[in-house]
Amino acid sequence: GSPPQALVDDTEDVSLDFGSEEELALRKAKIRHPLATFFHLFFRVSAIITYLFCDWFSNSFVACFVTILLLLSFDFWSVKNVTGRLLVGLRWWNQIDEDGKSHWVFEARRVPTKAASTEAEARIFWLGLIICPVIWTVFFFSTLFSLKLKWLALVIAGISLQTANLYGYIHCKLGGQKSISRATSSFFVTADAPK
Amino acid sequence: FAGLADVSISEDIPVEGEITVPVGSHSPDEDYSTLDEPVRDTIMRDLKAVGKKFVHVMYPKKSSALLRDWDLWGPLVLCVSLALMLQGGSADSKDDGGPQFAEVFVIIWFGAVVITLNSKLLGGTISFFQSLCVLGYCVLPLTVAMLVCRLVLLAGSGTVSFIIRLIVVIAMFAWSTLASTAFLADSQPPNRKALVVYPIFLFYFVISWMILTFTPQ
Repeated sequence: GSPPQALVDDTEDVSLDFGSEEELALRKAKIRHPLATFFHLFFRVSAIITYLFCDWFSNSFVACFVTILLLLSFDFWSVKNVTGRLLVGLRWWNQIDEDGKSHWVFEARRVPTKAASTEAEARIFWLGLIICPVIWTVFFFSTLFSLKLKWLALVIAGISLQTANLYGYIHCKLGGQKSISRATSSFFVTADAPK
Repeated sequence: FAGLADVSISEDIPVEGEITVPVGSHSPDEDYSTLDEPVRDTIMRDLKAVGKKFVHVMYPKKSSALLRDWDLWGPLVLCVSLALMLQGGSADSKDDGGPQFAEVFVIIWFGAVVITLNSKLLGGTISFFQSLCVLGYCVLPLTVAMLVCRLVLLAGSGTVSFIIRLIVVIAMFAWSTLASTAFLADSQPPNRKALVVYPIFLFYFVISWMILTFTPQ
């Protein structure tokens, strides 16, 4: 028998399918990644709300501090590693080569995949990314001038974490062209295996 | 290309070359697969990396692979645990210990930043976040010491308990300092090693002091 022959015969009978019901619904949906969108906003907004209303939740400074810090850390991690690539197809990270030099890599997705992001998602992503650091900066000045200095460390941590993500993603967005061409050229160089 | 017409490569000469992708760079395919990987994979990967580093601190042997893959989750968890355990002491003011808690945080993070800047100014090759990562993870032995001290203090706070705590803290302090120097001192030229080690020594000394002088209410 000749298996390749059989395969060719099989494909002649296959009808062209432009996509199942599910895919059509996916393409029409305004928000394709509801969980990611929710979590993108959930951690940052919860951190801000906890900071503003910590007196209602608990008397203990320590509990509020730790809660807000954990929320800020989870937010930083999820925005950097998950929601960025799901909602806008961007990613940034730090890489250290063998000789110990560190450099920052900023990636932007060029090829749209099946579940690419929508306008609405991208808008939510960028609004959430920009507005929250601004709010934390406002908190910084209000804490400074009202002399509630024990909160200052937390506010500074908040500003640093959120601004880091903002800076990283803006860099990705603006520099996408350059890093993609560099990655492509390195791919071609290493794929040149001698025969 | 006429000149090359008579050049022939005999069958015996092995043709060598690099087929592997260098570790430092990602091919676009590899990148897009991590761009599209399910979230659980991302979480598990990061958790495993954190766990591996904790193990490395307990058995410090030089490993550049550890240094390359830095993260600050371990230091965050250790810092929070240490700060929480240092609460409830008689040194606290009458409110809920707010300043004390933030103090521990500031001492650890600000101290680590200063040591990193110091080593960079001395010409170290290690990067900023790598150094923070190592210093943060090497607080683990001291966190264990704090736990032991609190347990010992539950039993009593006399001279015997003090001696036990002293020995434990000194041992853990030595462990922390040695573990972090094993990672950090190598990135320095040989005649500068002492200049890099002594701030690390001071840093862990201050933390050990806070642990040893902790007395419950």
